[in-house]
Amino acid sequence: MADLTTGLEVKQTERKDIRKVARGSRTGSQSLTYLVLIIGAFLALIPFFWMISTSLMTLGETINRKWLPAVPQFINYIQAWNEAKFARYFWNSVIITGVTLIGLLTTSILAGYAFGRIKFKGRNAIFAILLSTMMIPETITWLPNLMLVRGTIIPLPGGSWLNSLQALAVPFMANAFSIFLLKQFFAQIPHELWDAAQIDGANHFRFLTQICLPISKAPIMTVLLFGFIGSWNAFAWPLLVTTRETWRPLMVGLWTFVSEAGPETHLLMAGAVITLIPILVIYFLTQKQFTQGIATTGLKG
Amino acid sequence: MASTADVNPKITKRNVFSLRALQENLTGYAFVAPAVIIILVFGLFPIVYSLYMSLFNWRIRKGDFTGLVNYTKIFGDWGGFAIFIGGLGLLGLAYWLWTRAFKSSSNLIRIMQIIAAIVLIVAGTIMSMGWGKMIAAGDEDFLNSLIITIFYAVGTVPLQLGIGMVFAYLLYQKIHGKEVFRMIYFLPYVTPVVTTAVVFRTIFSSRETSLANILLSWFNAGPLKWLFEPKAMSEVFLGLKLDGIAAGPSLALGTIILFGIWSFFGYNTVIFLAGLGGIPKELYEAAEIDGANGWNAFKNVTIPLLSPVSFYLFLVSFIGTFKAFNHLYVMATPNAQNTVVTASVQIFDVFYAQNNFGYAASQSIVLFLIILGLTLAQNKFLGERVFYG
Repeated sequence: MADLTTGLEVKQTERKDIRKVARGSRTGSQSLTYLVLIIGAFLALIPFFWMISTSLMTLGETINRKWLPAVPQFINYIQAWNEAKFARYFWNSVIITGVTLIGLLTTSILAGYAFGRIKFKGRNAIFAILLSTMMIPETITWLPNLMLVRGTIIPLPGGSWLNSLQALAVPFMANAFSIFLLKQFFAQIPHELWDAAQIDGANHFRFLTQICLPISKAPIMTVLLFGFIGSWNAFAWPLLVTTRETWRPLMVGLWTFVSEAGPETHLLMAGAVITLIPILVIYFLTQKQFTQGIATTGLKG
Repeated sequence: MASTADVNPKITKRNVFSLRALQENLTGYAFVAPAVIIILVFGLFPIVYSLYMSLFNWRIRKGDFTGLVNYTKIFGDWGGFAIFIGGLGLLGLAYWLWTRAFKSSSNLIRIMQIIAAIVLIVAGTIMSMGWGKMIAAGDEDFLNSLIITIFYAVGTVPLQLGIGMVFAYLLYQKIHGKEVFRMIYFLPYVTPVVTTAVVFRTIFSSRETSLANILLSWFNAGPLKWLFEPKAMSEVFLGLKLDGIAAGPSLALGTIILFGIWSFFGYNTVIFLAGLGGIPKELYEAAEIDGANGWNAFKNVTIPLLSPVSFYLFLVSFIGTFKAFNHLYVMATPNAQNTVVTASVQIFDVFYAQNNFGYAASQSIVLFLIILGLTLAQNKFLGERVFYG
């Protein structure tokens, strides 16, 4: 009897020990998880830390490699903004992006609606052709488009479009991805709504603007977000079509500063921070939709 | 319009139908016209026009029709090109034999595998033979830029996928601050690539006081030239003296690869996280009951069930590296010479700096065909290996 009870007790204490060990290893692996996650976050953030820190240093501090400026030099930003002309580039970028987005939204809402809800001849064929353009690398489009914009292929109204707003904005005013996204959404809208609208004498345009658009905020936001990123971050094309400062956007301005500024790293980094601010503001405001938009569409901006 | 037609008795059913159909057609065309015109002009027309330009000696102004001369200049030796393509075909055959081996009966597997291995070796030899002929007679700069592109793709894609998967798996556990971590990892991807590439240029500059060199000095390692170093990494780190392709990527390209991984791993993390959400919890519980620890569960449940997502990401990322331009252009320092010039940068250079339009057009057509081929091949080869369970 006695043997039996002690045996049981032993077993129970053993079990407790096992549980303790298990719990111990779990917290152990948990702290390891956190350690790895924190190292990852550190590595992801260090270039940003470096950029901001350098942007607040004096020229001497950037050369004698300090980690942090003794006194933050906010004047660097004023200098970059005024003397390095980042103000001009910034407003150029704002206008280019704004105009592009208005165009992009107009063309893709109309086309998305037509592909999703209007039956016209050749609809599927045209849509398939548009989708196939998503496979085409941008590299191949630069040279012919550059010649097009210079007016060498066909004469353009107003001669060459080099250094003009339309050259920077028009090519980005439509893309297959936005049309696809909106088409998917519009196609889901119940047919009964359209029947009812027709009885009220509405045509497609009225149905689109008064019924469809008010309920399409989510896909429109996604189109705007991707359009914004694409336009704000554009580099190769603006580099090709801007030979002067008139319409030079931020990214090209930053790049020309790299080749012209030489050792003025603090101003360069201040300029770099300026290029980031609008994107970061939008990212933090629309964080969830932003990330979900990418996860569900799987598309790079 | 339509409702008045309905009540008008004079219009027959057929007429109503055709009137409506006409109206629908016209509205449809009017609605899609702006988008279609822009996409056709700026998206599709360039391919046709590039093809046209590539057949001329075209330097700023159109010159003589030269037929395939531009392409001959790229490949140099059409015989070598044919040999190379033949080798590529054999590679496909080796792959086909390899997959067939597992379907055949057990005693045949070994033999089939051995045959596949032999075909693979033969294919490799033939391809390098053809490539050697092409390099000797063709455009070394452009052919070399293709190799650089492949170095870049092979260097970044597997690592950024692997790191992304690990972080996604860790974030999927019950931990605090999940949202914050995800936001931080995604930050490098969200920020404009030109900006971050400019920042990397200063961090990995050849100056002794650059951040990368300060970190090295903590470990008593000498300063490196990073983005400004044309020497191969095998030479810088291991002291090996190898020539050409065998030497592998330069340190400058290695640094750009590092940037690629830093910039894109967060994107993969987010997509993998979405994929993890689709794995049933019961599978992990079952694995735990069977006594699997964290690593075993990761290896035997997570990785196979994520393979459709991995396949998708691999495809997108690999093709993405062939399309990539902005950060590669910004980080290609003149000091690193041609060891960092990828195909897209090379093409840009040929028409933008050298004004050799016709030739650049033919190069961009070749790059386009490669990307097209990759898309088709990846769909075919990797699609079969995906776990759909």
